[in-house]
Parts: sequence; C-alpha cells; structure tokens
Amino acid sequence: MGFDIDAVLAADLNDCAPAPSGDPLKIGFAADLSDLGGFADAPASQAADYFVDLINCVGGVNGTPLELTIQNIEGDPDVTQRAAQDLLDAGVSAILGPPFPDFGFPLLQVTAGQVPVLFVASTEPTLSDPAQLAFLVAFDDTAQASAAAEFALDQGWTTAATFSSPGPNFGYNPEIFTEVFEAGGGTVIADYNYVPIEDVDFSSQANEMANLDAPPDVVYSAMLAFQAAILRGQLDGVGVDTRFLITDAFEATGGYAEGEATEGFYHTTHSFPAAGSRVVILDEGFEAATGAALENPSFGGLAADAIAMVIDAFLRTGSHDPAVIGAAIAEAQGVEGVTGVLSYPSGSGSPEKPVYVHQVVNGEPSLAATIG
Amino acid sequence: MTELLQQLVDGIGRGSIYALLALGIAVIFGVMHLVNFAHGELITVSAYVSYALFTLGLDWWVLVPAILASSMLTALGIEFAAFRWVRNSSDFTMVLTSFGVHFVVQAIFVMAVSANRRTFARPGWLFETVSVGGVNLEIYDLVVIGFTLITLAGTVWLVRRTMFGMTLRAAAEDFEAARLMGVRSNRVIRGAFVLSGILAGVASIFWLMRTGQADPTAGLTPMLKGVLAALIGGLGSLGGAVLGGLALGLVEVLLISRLPDGLVGLTDGMVFVCIALLFVFRPQGMVTIRRAERV
Repeated sequence: MGFDIDAVLAADLNDCAPAPSGDPLKIGFAADLSDLGGFADAPASQAADYFVDLINCVGGVNGTPLELTIQNIEGDPDVTQRAAQDLLDAGVSAILGPPFPDFGFPLLQVTAGQVPVLFVASTEPTLSDPAQLAFLVAFDDTAQASAAAEFALDQGWTTAATFSSPGPNFGYNPEIFTEVFEAGGGTVIADYNYVPIEDVDFSSQANEMANLDAPPDVVYSAMLAFQAAILRGQLDGVGVDTRFLITDAFEATGGYAEGEATEGFYHTTHSFPAAGSRVVILDEGFEAATGAALENPSFGGLAADAIAMVIDAFLRTGSHDPAVIGAAIAEAQGVEGVTGVLSYPSGSGSPEKPVYVHQVVNGEPSLAATIG
Repeated sequence: MTELLQQLVDGIGRGSIYALLALGIAVIFGVMHLVNFAHGELITVSAYVSYALFTLGLDWWVLVPAILASSMLTALGIEFAAFRWVRNSSDFTMVLTSFGVHFVVQAIFVMAVSANRRTFARPGWLFETVSVGGVNLEIYDLVVIGFTLITLAGTVWLVRRTMFGMTLRAAAEDFEAARLMGVRSNRVIRGAFVLSGILAGVASIFWLMRTGQADPTAGLTPMLKGVLAALIGGLGSLGGAVLGGLALGLVEVLLISRLPDGLVGLTDGMVFVCIALLFVFRPQGMVTIRRAERV
C-alpha cells in the first residue's frame, strides 16, 4: 500500500483511526526558530507537527507510527551541532534541516552522512550533496534564477538591471539570472550593488538608473520585500518606470503585506495557493485544528514535502535504517508532495520540481507562470 | 558636476538619519560613558508599536506621538530594569549589560510575536521628489535634514541653556562631584535616558517611515549606523554626532557610486577602512572635545 497524501490531508483529527503501534519511524527537525530562520522554520515546524498528527490519525504509514522530534537550533552553529547529536542519539531515520547554510553545514559536519538531512526551506545549491545524504526539498537558486530569466524572456523583456550583493543567494541568483537571460538573447544593462537586509536608501542607485538612456524592462533581485518596496518607491520618485521580478525572498519576507508598494511585482516561489490545492488544504486544516493559519503556507508545504520524501523512501525499502533511507531518497522519483511532485535527478540532491511565478494583483498572488 | 552634486545630496540625505540616530547615543555616552548597544531596542519597540497601531487602523498622525512616547518609556524602562543596577560597575559591565538588553528584547519579540516581519504602510509622500537644476531632491530627505537640524539645535539648547542641561553636563564632567554639589543622580540619569529616548523616537519616526516594517532585529542596523556615526564624530559630542552621521552617509554614497563595478561589493568594507584610517590620524573622532564640554 502506498502513501496517499490527499487522504492524509483530508483526515479529521477529531475522528482518527486506531492509533498505530510498533516501532515508530523517527524523524528529527533541527529547526531554526530564532529571529534568523524563524520566518521559515516556525511555520515549517508547526506544519510538520500537524502533518505527522494527520498521518498518525489515518493509522500511520502502513501501520507504522511517525514520531517527530523538533529541536530548536536557536540560530547558533554550536546549538545546531548539539541538536544534531541529540537527534542522532535518539535514533532518527532522517533529519529536516534549517534554511541557512551557516547552520546547515555545521549540522552536516555532525551527521557526516550517517543519516539523511532534508533541508526544508533552503535554496542554497551547495548544501545538496547526495554523497553526504544531504538534500534540498525546495528548488535551488540555480533553478529559481534560471526560471526567472526564462520567464522574463517569455514575456518579451529584452533588457534587465540586477541588484546584487556578492555571495550566495543575494549574489548568486542575479549571477545565474544574468547568464541565462543573456544566453537567451536578453541584455543585463546594469548591476547595482546594495547591502542585503540593511539598506533602506537606494537613492544613489535610483538616480543612476534615471540617467540611463532607457529604463530596463525588468529589475531582478533576491532582495527582501521591504527593500524591494523602498527601491520601487524611489525609482517611481525619479520617474523610472520598470517591472520587478524578485526571488522567493519576496514572499518569505512579507511581500504581500506591503500593499500598494509591491502591486504588480513578480516573484518566484514554491507553491501557488489555488483553491483546492494541497497547500491550501494543509493551511485550512491547520487553521481549523489550531485556530490560526500558518504564517507562511509555502514553508509549511515544504516541511510536509520533506516528510513525504522520507515516507516514500521508507515504503520502498521497509527499513528504519538511516543509511538505507538516505540511499532511497537519492533515487526518489515522482513523489507526491504538498508543493508539487518531487524527483531527484541522478547524482543531484536538488529536486526537480516546478518554480511558480506569481504576480501581485490587488494584493493577492496571481499565477503568472509555472516553470519546470 | 550635476552627478557629483546629486551624490552629495544623496549622501547628506542618507547621513541625516544616521545623525539623528547618533544624537541619542552621544547623550548617553556623555553622561554614563556608555556606548549603549541597547539603543536600537527603542526603535524595535517603536516598530512594533507602529505595527500594532496600524492594525487598529490608525495613521501616521497618531503614530508620531505614539512612537515618541513608546521610545521614551522604553528608555526609562531599560534604565530602571537594567542599567540602574550596574551604574557603579565598570564601563565593560555596562556595555555587556547593553548587549544583554539587546538580546533579551529581541528574544521577547521572537517568542511573543514572531520572527516574521510585520509590515505597515509608509506615508504617501515618502518617495516624492523635486528636481532643482537637474538634481533630484527627495522630500523625505529634506524633511529629515530639517528635523536633524531642529533636533540638534533643540538638544544643544536644552543641554547648554537649562538647569537640566547644567546637571547633565556636571554629571558628565564628574559624577561624584556633581552629586556632592546636590545633583540627584537618579534624576539626572533618568533625564538622560528620557532625552535619549526622545531622540531615538525622532530617529525611529523617520527610520520606520522608510522601512515600514517591524521585526525582532528592526533596531540592529540603525543602532550600528548610529554607533558608527557617533564614533566617527567623536563620542559624547552632539555636533560631532551629526557630523559623523553626515560623513558616514556621504562616504557610503560616494563609494557606491564611484567604486568600479567589480569592487562595489566592497562598499561596507571600504567604509570601515575609511573609519580605521580616520582613527589612525584622529583617534578622538572628527570633533575634539574637552571633557568639560562633553554633552
């Protein structure tokens, strides 16, 4: 018997099957609930907890109960390593990992390939390493920046400006976007530097852009939502009329709460909340069960995806052994998750899955494209 | 020429908000010889107050006095809950206490609210610009520059022309001697925190108008900018704080605009190199002050 994710999501926690018994399949979650990673891991851990309750409510995985242990790594590499060791000592078959590599790599140093680690919300390509049993659950930055460039070209946009900062994510996404956009015939006419998270004044960049012969068709960046909103306001102020295409950081950092300031923005993200979609069902079920909606349903969905990957590996192998489960995850194909269908290409720890491009229309997400 | 003028205008606009932030830090340093790393928490609290009032449907006309009040009360609360108990300890203990306050306030908001950012609307006029001779002037920058000058003048007047200011300066010069002369230590320290809270409140208003968001670390960046500006200007000097803020803003903008493309990513690092060079030649910062003039 397989794992029916739709049946699980439809379960009613007030009307459960008899509790499953036997040796539980143990999953750990080294969750960063601090001010650094809490934006992702707080909703992810809440959703993971709820999803495990739902699975046990329908009788577990073929009668095997699921057990989830959440350890708060507190945005601290040392605490992360202690949490990882605690989870190893507890005999978990897999660990869900935090969003940032600053804590992901310390975690991998401890797990050292003994147990599979699935990074729930990270898009950092270097974290994925099947040889170390390290996997991403979200698409990686290469995929999302490539999808963004592909989308921009599909729209007929021929010129772009990027805002970047050297390093992973804030620098890497614009770099890949530029490569793919220019390979497809587009031109990146300028790259402006900024300080991620900190900068609240883009007047010098805005004035430089105002002096260009023509404004770019689109501005691409991995900047946070509030920075993108300020940039847009300052560009509007100096008369630069352009479009904005942002990475998943837009939604993760409250892009929709910005109101008018981000109306019309495009951004890449992990799911689309269509009526009746699994993401919406998960979110609505969570709200019905707890009285509050998930702060970010996409991250909740990704946590459920990670658990679905572990269950798929368990069902294919019948083993609790972390090494066996890890090897099976590396070969996962067509796993039904909450945010989409996930597969790992041979030798890669980054999943093949759709990149959703949203546009903010009347303050709500509108699906502009699904790439991949 | 127009380009350089534009960059100077952008730099002064950026620096004015740093100057406002530095003023509050300079006041506390002047009296307690404390670089108060908890100064940013006044902005964090103000940010959450702003968010809460916005969710109640109130607008910036209500927010402005609310931010001033919350910042002042938070400053008093921090003085009462933390600094009062270590007042006679070493400078190092007080600095550690300020770090402690910073982390405690941050943790409280993570636990009690969320690590997620909360957003509120910015004023409609925020990004409007006027063009003068080909140079774009943001209305926001003009307002901030104006308020920085007014705030500096008001603070200088308060410190130099009032009895309260006299007690502040006396305490800054020699706290024990001032006490022997009848200055009440609790009152003067409380007064310094109230003043620094009001100054942080003024800075918060403009900072939050721009960012339009609250999160547990909302005060971190402005605090760091304020401390840097105060250090550059000469710790304890009000005029120095403003000069330091303006210098920091100008250097940032000139580096962003003038560094070659491949090196623009080094802007932050270059700012610190400039500060290090300044301290090699002027360890006291831009403004030299005699101890008796401090604050």
